[in-house]
Amino acid sequence: MTDRALDNAPARPGHLAALKAIPPLVWVAILWLAAVLFVAIFADLVAPYSYTAPNLRNRLVAPGHALHWLGTDELGRDVLSRLIVSIRISLLIAFGATVISACFGTALGFLAAYFRGLVEQAVLMLADFQASMPFLILALAVLAFFGSSLVLLVGLMGLFGWERYARIARGLAISAGAQGYASAVTQLGAPPTQVYLRHILPNIASTLIVSMTLVFPEVILLESGLSFLGLGVQPPMTSLGNMVGFGREYITRAPWIMLAPASVIVLTTLSVSLLGDWLRDRLDPTLQ
Amino acid sequence: MIPSLVEAKGLARSYAQRRGLFGRSVAVRAVDGVSLRVSAGETLGIVGESGSGKSTLGRMVLGLEAPDEGAVRFDGADMPKFGTVEWRRARARMQMIFQDPLGALDRRLAILDQVREPLDIHRRHEPAERTDKALAMLARVGLSRHLAARYPHELSGGQRQRVVLARALMTEPALLVCDEPVSALDVSIQAQVVNLLVDLQEEMRLAMLFISHDLRVVRQVSRRVAVMYLGRFVEEGDADDLFADPRHPYTQALVSAAPTPGARQKRITLTGEPPNPAERPSGCAFHPRCPLATSRCRAEAPAMRTVEGGRRVACHLAEDPAHLARKAA
Amino acid sequence: MARFVTLRLLRAALTIALVVTFAFIVLRMSGDPAQIILGPEADPEAIRAFRKSWGLDAPLWQQYFQYFGAIAQGELGRSMRDGRAAIELVAERIPATLALTLPALFLKLAIGIPAGIFAALNRGRFADRAIMLLSVAGFTVPSFVLGLVLVLVFAVQLGWLPSGGQDSWRHAILPILTLGIGGAAVLARFTRSAMLEVLGQPYIRTASAKGVPWRLVVTGHALPNAAIPTVTIVGFMVGSLIAGAVVVESVFSWPGVGRLLVVAVSNRDLAVVQCILLLVAATMVASNLIVDFLYGFLDPRLRHAGGKAGV
Repeated sequence: MTDRALDNAPARPGHLAALKAIPPLVWVAILWLAAVLFVAIFADLVAPYSYTAPNLRNRLVAPGHALHWLGTDELGRDVLSRLIVSIRISLLIAFGATVISACFGTALGFLAAYFRGLVEQAVLMLADFQASMPFLILALAVLAFFGSSLVLLVGLMGLFGWERYARIARGLAISAGAQGYASAVTQLGAPPTQVYLRHILPNIASTLIVSMTLVFPEVILLESGLSFLGLGVQPPMTSLGNMVGFGREYITRAPWIMLAPASVIVLTTLSVSLLGDWLRDRLDPTLQ
Repeated sequence: MIPSLVEAKGLARSYAQRRGLFGRSVAVRAVDGVSLRVSAGETLGIVGESGSGKSTLGRMVLGLEAPDEGAVRFDGADMPKFGTVEWRRARARMQMIFQDPLGALDRRLAILDQVREPLDIHRRHEPAERTDKALAMLARVGLSRHLAARYPHELSGGQRQRVVLARALMTEPALLVCDEPVSALDVSIQAQVVNLLVDLQEEMRLAMLFISHDLRVVRQVSRRVAVMYLGRFVEEGDADDLFADPRHPYTQALVSAAPTPGARQKRITLTGEPPNPAERPSGCAFHPRCPLATSRCRAEAPAMRTVEGGRRVACHLAEDPAHLARKAA
Repeated sequence: MARFVTLRLLRAALTIALVVTFAFIVLRMSGDPAQIILGPEADPEAIRAFRKSWGLDAPLWQQYFQYFGAIAQGELGRSMRDGRAAIELVAERIPATLALTLPALFLKLAIGIPAGIFAALNRGRFADRAIMLLSVAGFTVPSFVLGLVLVLVFAVQLGWLPSGGQDSWRHAILPILTLGIGGAAVLARFTRSAMLEVLGQPYIRTASAKGVPWRLVVTGHALPNAAIPTVTIVGFMVGSLIAGAVVVESVFSWPGVGRLLVVAVSNRDLAVVQCILLLVAATMVASNLIVDFLYGFLDPRLRHAGGKAGV
């Protein structure tokens, strides 16, 4: 009765087929990230010692020791335990910051797309400003004025990369509104909140998620950089960058203190980047 | 006379167009003084080439765009301002069908949810009932139940347009504006969708504004037809009359270009540049392409006047039908 | 063209104004400057005098304009630590930083651009994949890790080069390498994607279909067009000549602007931090301006597009 016979819409590749197409390197990246995530979540159960417990008899023990697989630091604290707690804190900060900046940026992008005019110009100007200033310098300036605290650190890094989400969200929302489903739904009488949250957001979510995987490694690098400089996470709390920073002083006598967190940073950012690149190529080739 | 549901008076809309880095912005009049009225159960067809301003006209009639001049009255009241709560509430009574049904549907929502959405937005019926209503409407536009859980990209073009239609009709609107509703579809499917539109219009006593560049489709749907050229109506009248005996040279050219079974007419080919609203010719806008243009046409814009049989024409030569017929032959 | 230049200059001025506003807001939000500068045990009388002399008793908007005025006259405050003018302290560190960042910039260009072009021309082949993998690795390795690994290998293990300090040219090698490798990775990636974008354009295919030799297609059509987006990223690198070595200078104890900034931040030496912030903003804005004008020069379309920036 209908024109079903003419149904020739191309079928989407199934999810199973997509799984098979994952290259081995990306698989490795996914496995590594899963392991890191597991360690971060169950840090308390996995860590063999308390990360602050000193053991003055076993100072600067080399890796491979029966009690301390990754050795100990200058105070005899277990490097593995410190590493595990550092992973948790660094990931927590990076996740928190990425989520904050994605929400903040998307919201500003939507506001720009909805109001246009002055609001849009203001958002674009701020985005240009943010993109043209090295973020590390801005962050250092804020830390100089306020001193470092965990909340400030997460909030500060939550400002990192917002301009990318804002530009993407604005561009996609405007094109959705100019023609197509968004204007169709507006035309049905839906209030703007519903148009943006129920319709536009799910439609651009994949692009935003890809951008998040591209920003995430940069956030980890930023946090570890600040902590390395001694201006990020403050002792007794520890983070990956913080461990490298303090381990640097023992680079000649005990390079493992610094190498362990350094390799976790590199492997993690590398994995997220590989995953992000692959996701971008698969889901959204329009992103640069 | 039946009171009209929608009445538009002297609608005009300009867009600013900027040329080059130093160019001043030029106001382009997309629609230039158009008046129309549509009653319940009646269809007004609007024919014109691309760039004639017919889509802008449709959007103004729906209140999606505010006219620079003139006003739209719907059911005796002024059209509320775009985006206000009253405007949103009024959406339940007037709906639009788009040219590109795939673009008009949300790729990420199942068909059923999208058809149900107008009821959710306007809080009609109990939430539990809305799904049943949506399924019933899908059946009414000829879509079987098993398509309800599908997504837009899994449907054919014709099916998608039926979904758009079902969604538009959920709140039982009084006015439907169709902007090129079938021109993106295969010819074989166009007829099905057009027939469905005509049936539903009769059943629901819809007032309809049917915009298309395709004469045959407009003729099939509309009782009355208006021909638009560069933002103005140039001829308006009863559909059968108008197509059988076009008075405006532009309408004549359009009609002669469309094959009509039975009638054997001499084909008039339009010459010259297609209309560009940014460079509107002086006098009658059609004169550079008109085979009959006189010096008067170049200098003076013709006013719309009523000739016999309720036909309205904006052409200096149409005042003297005999003269026109002689020249055309 | 006049309109284009005016628009750009206006935007540059606006960016500087934004940075100054940012500094002002942050400075005022962080607490009472009198208290911070004079210390918590300061005599109330001294604090009042300080406030008066710095105009801190005036309404906030007046302070805001005074702040602008002071900066316009080059009054950037004095270092809390030794009382010297902040701008002097910063200025004497600039040569040391440039001694690292200029050679590093050269290294980035010399490695990054050819690698990117080569990868693009061999798209999908082994060379491309290898370069891209190296490039991803290059910018996911943080500069402090790269620097420390270089120290570990060349200073600690092999003993060829010093691990830190600024006594001879040999001290500069490892920091320059650290900066250069990371930047080259970013640049290679960027150049490759710009090249690929251009190589996919119809005019390239037309040119090669017409029988123009491939070498000429690449040098005559592809490279000039791919240069346009690449200029942006190079501009950013030029803009960060002053501040791009914060981490690396710390790793190698190199007494440049970056090291000064880190020390100033840990000591909360606000005048110095503010001075560096403004200096960085000025360099960044200046290099952005140059990039914008270069763009106008390289891409005639932009000259006629109403000065709109691409999204």
